[in-house]
Amino acid sequence: MRLSDSKYGALLSLPGLILLLVLVLIPSGYLFGLSFLRYDNIRPIKFIGLKNYQYMFDDRVFWLSMKNTIIFSMGSTALTFFVGMALAHGLNAMGKGVAIFRSLTVLPWAVPLVISGFIWAWVFNPAFGVFSDILLKLHLIQEPINIFGNPRLAMVGVIVADAWTRIPFMAILILAGLQAISQELYEAAKVDGADVFDRFAYISVPLNRRPILLGLFTTIMFSFRTVDVIFSMTPGGGVAKSTYLGGVYLFDSIFKYLNFGVAAATGVVIFILTLLIGVGFIRMAFGER
Amino acid sequence: MIRRTLDRILEQRLTAYVVVSFILFFLLLPLLWMVLSSFKTMSELFQSPPTYWPHDFTLEAYSQAWNKAPLPTYLLNSTIIALVTVAFTLVAGTFTAYGLSQYKFKGSNTVLTLFIFTRVIPPISLILPFYVVFLKLGLINTRTAVIIYTIYLSYPLMVWLLKGFFDDFPRELIDAAVIDGASRTGTLFRIVLPVTILAIMAVAVMAFMWTWNEFLAPYLFINSDELKPLTVGIYYFVGDELTYWNRMSAAGVIAVIPSITFFILAQKYIVKGLTAGAVKS
Repeated sequence: MRLSDSKYGALLSLPGLILLLVLVLIPSGYLFGLSFLRYDNIRPIKFIGLKNYQYMFDDRVFWLSMKNTIIFSMGSTALTFFVGMALAHGLNAMGKGVAIFRSLTVLPWAVPLVISGFIWAWVFNPAFGVFSDILLKLHLIQEPINIFGNPRLAMVGVIVADAWTRIPFMAILILAGLQAISQELYEAAKVDGADVFDRFAYISVPLNRRPILLGLFTTIMFSFRTVDVIFSMTPGGGVAKSTYLGGVYLFDSIFKYLNFGVAAATGVVIFILTLLIGVGFIRMAFGER
Repeated sequence: MIRRTLDRILEQRLTAYVVVSFILFFLLLPLLWMVLSSFKTMSELFQSPPTYWPHDFTLEAYSQAWNKAPLPTYLLNSTIIALVTVAFTLVAGTFTAYGLSQYKFKGSNTVLTLFIFTRVIPPISLILPFYVVFLKLGLINTRTAVIIYTIYLSYPLMVWLLKGFFDDFPRELIDAAVIDGASRTGTLFRIVLPVTILAIMAVAVMAFMWTWNEFLAPYLFINSDELKPLTVGIYYFVGDELTYWNRMSAAGVIAVIPSITFFILAQKYIVKGLTAGAVKS
């Protein structure tokens, strides 16, 4: 007996569906379930409604971690976006040798975030790192900068280490979009007397809307849930908890305080916030056309 | 007036080269610094001001990391975890993506949306449920736990990318083969796969890298040294008082080499796959 085409398709997709169910949907449901339990590995597990959320919202450290996450995620996205934009437009305007430059651009993408944190910590090391040394040699600063001793600078440090691995994707994405724009449009605009700025504002940006939005939202979403860089660069969340992110709060709830209920509640908050960002993107990019 | 001058400068092709080179200098400096550090001795490493080119160029850090630290074990674990994940997701992903792409069924769009939705869920939120379940199943401190989690991480992306490549495959060729009496599964293996194999390999590379670079899952699920992959094992070089930056850099170089090589080789397809959804309307 031969299956109909649509049944055949459903059969092929079956393993995928099962995986989705087991690896995504059930854990997601379980996460929400856990967040309503008193699960502190001391007392017996018990349903306590919204108490975990209440505990979390009363916790000063939680709010600090949320504030830091927003600063971190916005900072990382802004840096990634501006550098990525500049790189993409530069690469797009290049002639010979663009392939080599493009391949070089991609390299940091391949570096694991943990290792990025380590490398940048070493680059930023006030005594032995290359960063302070170059600035000293250029006479831009008088004394080495100890970025890890200063709460504000520590945040800048982790943002740089995070953005560094994200810039390539942003640049390549925007470049792909630019290359899809017809060259004739630019020629026509030039004939009409449009200068570089006009062409940027009226052609390169509006016609490249979707890749730009995709790049922005992926970066926001991904940096929103980052912890790897923090673990390697400013372990524990840095001086005065200056780089203590939501993800670190979640981790500490699991491993330091063994309070799985609160950890689950934090997970739910991160889950919902990320989802809202994602839905916002889909609306903006695909909504009105 | 300023605008005019800037316009003149930006119209120059040379400007593009200058700007890109300037940015690339900062982008590649950390990598270069890591490579240079890996060839220095500990005493040179802790010189202030730092030296740039290693004075005593030495492979000591590599041999120390390789012989005195469990670097080979870490590498082996990274490889096992990545290969098993790729093999599993590649096989399951190919069937799923092919079905979703070529044999649409009632609800196939819902399934596809679910896959995109999955990409939006932050893995960090799901790590606790996974942890609790693994704890109950006694899977904590096994590579299996990490592999199950990395399958969850890369599978949806695999399906999404593969579906894009299958969508580009001309439907007439499939129909012609089926009319000629080939089975549908036979057609997939004999007609479709040989043509799309390069793209599929590129997707596999992507998933390999993704898994190879994963830090959170092994950091959480594995405690014993002989099961750690490189991303977690690199902490071996962080001491309480002193970090062996040269050995860590050597380990970093070794960790990054496979990813970078693969990435450059498969660049064309990766870029195409990842940007297709955004650029195509």
